[in-house]
Amino acid sequence: MSPQKAAETLDLSGVPCPQNAARALLRIEGMAPGSVLAVILDDGEPIRNVPPVLEAEGHKELFRARENKGWRLVMRRGDR
Amino acid sequence: MIYLDNAATTRPDPAVLEAMAQAREDYGNASSVHRLGVAAAKAVEMARAAVAEALQVRPDEVVFTSGGTEANNLALKGVLLAGARRGHLVISAVEHPSVLEPARALQRLGCRLSLVGTDSDGVIDLSALAKLLTERTSLVSVMHANNETGALQPLAEIGRLCRRRGVLFHTDASQSFTKEALEPRRVGADLVTMSAHKIHGPKGVGALYVRPGFRLEPILHGGGQEGGLRSGTHNTAAILGFGAAVGLSRARDAARVRRLRDRLEARLRELVPGLRRNGPRARRVCGILSVTIPRGRAGDLLQALSREGVCASAGAACSAAVAHPSHVLLAMGLSADEAGRTLRLSLSRWTTAAEVESVARIIARLAQR
Repeated sequence: MSPQKAAETLDLSGVPCPQNAARALLRIEGMAPGSVLAVILDDGEPIRNVPPVLEAEGHKELFRARENKGWRLVMRRGDR
Repeated sequence: MIYLDNAATTRPDPAVLEAMAQAREDYGNASSVHRLGVAAAKAVEMARAAVAEALQVRPDEVVFTSGGTEANNLALKGVLLAGARRGHLVISAVEHPSVLEPARALQRLGCRLSLVGTDSDGVIDLSALAKLLTERTSLVSVMHANNETGALQPLAEIGRLCRRRGVLFHTDASQSFTKEALEPRRVGADLVTMSAHKIHGPKGVGALYVRPGFRLEPILHGGGQEGGLRSGTHNTAAILGFGAAVGLSRARDAARVRRLRDRLEARLRELVPGLRRNGPRARRVCGILSVTIPRGRAGDLLQALSREGVCASAGAACSAAVAHPSHVLLAMGLSADEAGRTLRLSLSRWTTAAEVESVARIIARLAQR
């Protein structure tokens, strides 16, 4: 999937689990349904843990890409 | 009952208690990565965002603690113990014991401690402060609003002085948080203490704003919560209550409380000849009134007030049971006898005009017996 332009970027590098997931949830829930949020995450536990938490709440992963030493995760806000 | 001891603590707002009840469901450990852990972490982060917004800072600059005392301890010990060599600490002579005592503890550990005095209104002497700062000064700690008189300190001027000399600046805002405008960046504060139970939140929770860019040594070591600055499982219920309390604070409440406080002062002056206010007329936090009665003992008057259903205090609640006179009032130049005739009446957003009138009349009657 081609990268979609994110309306907002949330840098969670250095933020441990599950604080990073909590902050990502709070941010995406504050956006309009269908909006796109880019989240910068550390490698390891953060990139493994955060996407499933967001998907369990109805948000959809669009893509992820390596960025510097971490990841850029792009999520679309769900409708609920 | 008329409760005028809100500088000691406030009644929790029903909405705060309701928010805290959410912890019945979100009972997971806010450091666990499972569903309940994430729910608890989300609740903590919501509260953190509310506290951060009130100070106009970033959420990751807010560290939750067990209250104002711990936040003050973390600020002072965190800065002084982070240095390779024992530094120099400057505090005002009118600080709360939760600043004075850690400062004295640091002094016992080899740090140099200087106290800066105040004028008769309890406002610190800026030129004396400037003279105390040296190359070895690590931290200046001056409270925002005094807990006994409500006197507000000139934070922006202190912040400027500290910045010019490369000294870190901490302010204990336990009595002023959400009641007085306070933006750490605007006043140059590197560390700011907050407390929940002074704003109709729960006891046992507070926070410390920490500007990024300098090292702070934790005083509680363990699991590394709160960015490693405050280990220990999050008190989710209390933190939820703190966030709710911040959200309920309104500037218009502070303006109303100030009017009522000034009304109480005016009525007491009319009804009790010789009564004197302590602290500045205008530059005071909204809810606090400190008055010295012309004769009698504050302790006796407080007992009599309590029998009539009025709760107030003789000064700081923490030292209400201690016989020695208030160090704050002595620093302002009051005699021990005058300090012993001093009452603190502190209002909240739930204080009514009828209560103010009633208390003024009761005090007038009791003080002139």
